[in-house]
Amino acid sequence: MTAMIKIEGVHKRFGTNEVLRGIDLEVRTGEVCCVLGPSGSGKSTLLRCVNHLEKVNAGRISVDGRLIGYQQRGSKLYELREKEIAAQRRDIGMVFQRFNLFPHFTALENVMEGPVQVLGKSRAAVKARAQELLDRVGLGDRGGAYPVQLSGGQQQRVAIARALAMEPKVMLFDEPTSALDPELVGEVLDVMRDLARSGMTMMVVTHEIGFAREVGDSLVFMDGGVVVESGPPREVIANPQHERTKAFLSKVL
Amino acid sequence: MSKELNPDPAPSSPEAQAPMTVVPVRHPWRWVAVAVLAVLTAQFVHLAATNPAFDWPFMIDNAFRPPVIEGLLKGTLAGTVIAMTIGIVVGVIVAIMRLSPNPVLSGAAWVFTWVFRAMPRVVLIILFAGLGTLWKRIEFGLPFDEQLGWLFGIEDFRARLFGFDAHTVLTAFVAGMLALGLSEAAYMAEIVRAGIQSVDEGQGEAASALGMTRGQILRRIVLPQAMRVIIPPTGNETIAMLKDTSLLAFAPLTVELFYQLSAVGHRTFNVFPMLIAAALYYLFLASVLMVFQYFLERKFSAGRVRGVQR
Repeated sequence: MTAMIKIEGVHKRFGTNEVLRGIDLEVRTGEVCCVLGPSGSGKSTLLRCVNHLEKVNAGRISVDGRLIGYQQRGSKLYELREKEIAAQRRDIGMVFQRFNLFPHFTALENVMEGPVQVLGKSRAAVKARAQELLDRVGLGDRGGAYPVQLSGGQQQRVAIARALAMEPKVMLFDEPTSALDPELVGEVLDVMRDLARSGMTMMVVTHEIGFAREVGDSLVFMDGGVVVESGPPREVIANPQHERTKAFLSKVL
Repeated sequence: MSKELNPDPAPSSPEAQAPMTVVPVRHPWRWVAVAVLAVLTAQFVHLAATNPAFDWPFMIDNAFRPPVIEGLLKGTLAGTVIAMTIGIVVGVIVAIMRLSPNPVLSGAAWVFTWVFRAMPRVVLIILFAGLGTLWKRIEFGLPFDEQLGWLFGIEDFRARLFGFDAHTVLTAFVAGMLALGLSEAAYMAEIVRAGIQSVDEGQGEAASALGMTRGQILRRIVLPQAMRVIIPPTGNETIAMLKDTSLLAFAPLTVELFYQLSAVGHRTFNVFPMLIAAALYYLFLASVLMVFQYFLERKFSAGRVRGVQR
């Protein structure tokens, strides 16, 4: 299998605070890569670099063979224009910790917004497809509801449907269940599990060890802005090699 | 004493079973306040009804004369609409410029707001009306054409495409609208900027992640949500503008409500009733605007209230 996401030597600073200190990582097509680590380890920042919500200070990231945010000509990297970056993001779906649904649109309108505005498709065609996606995340009957009328778990499922509506090649999940009440976590993980089964390439920043072990094809443990350890989830979780991994897992398991 | 639960609790006391009258807290001072206000209101009504200075028949006779109505429609109402339209359109553009990552745009927007917020509207109106003293004609073409001509030794070099006579273009009304509109734009820019900044950052990120461009995000996602914050102060601004159109008399523009009403007063030496007429006119117009604002606010609160479904 080929690499869908390729991260090479990525550094990221906020002011003098170096959040990422040289990350190398590969997510192959169809693979589910779970990123674990204590808060402040840079895992969310790394995810945000993949769709250029954050600019990297050094290193390069490519998705499906295309360099993100830059174009290479000879030995120089040229920054892409805003429109070109926007076009790259069409292929990269993202789900946020705080859902970030558009509160002034209904659930159905949230799902339709991307295809209608970005891909310029007709509303009628998009509507049927959006309804299918809501059915797929188990919210077929809640299309007319505004986000404020939905529970956290329902909002996050709409957010997943919204990202899927763009038919992305990759889905990024930034702690998708961290803002949810415990009893609502399961319904979101179920949707993600189905998505993984359908062959979607996924990069998931999470604290759900169970999900990582069961659904993940690879697991990356980050701390202090570096990848401390990575490998098949079951092995890393059952038999961590590094002290920091052990310490972290002993706290969350 | 045993710590077991009492298996057979005593029946509730007779006091708990008997029906009781509940006496709410009394507010005697409210009644005192009502009495005081009632007396004051009665005094005011008595004053308005009996004091000859009000001269109601005279007022009613004169307050609806054609020149007054024309001033109301063409000066006050049209002026408010046009000045607010300029203010909102320019204000939105200036606010977007101000928030732009481009330092040139943002700096220019800052200077605009700085200048127009610093000037009193009366001064702006008189200044704009006097622009005709700077140029007899307003012309467009190559800037500094005459000076460039000197540089290359061409006498009387002119590269103008078109132009207008300053007096025909810069009428009192146009000057007044520019002055009020641009002054308003400076305030609207700050209001719109506050509105845009009140929208959660995650909204822009989610829209970016879908592949929307900055323009789309602003138009589809951020501005509609910012409206909730923008509309109430814009209502205030509109009401303030309605009143500030009375400053157009300094342009000087005579087709305007307050000018016309006071003109009647001065002409007939019966000033006071016409002042009351003006007060009542503005009170009525502001009330209409308040109703309008109420419906606008309701429209833009969609998705904010759990009960409301479209």
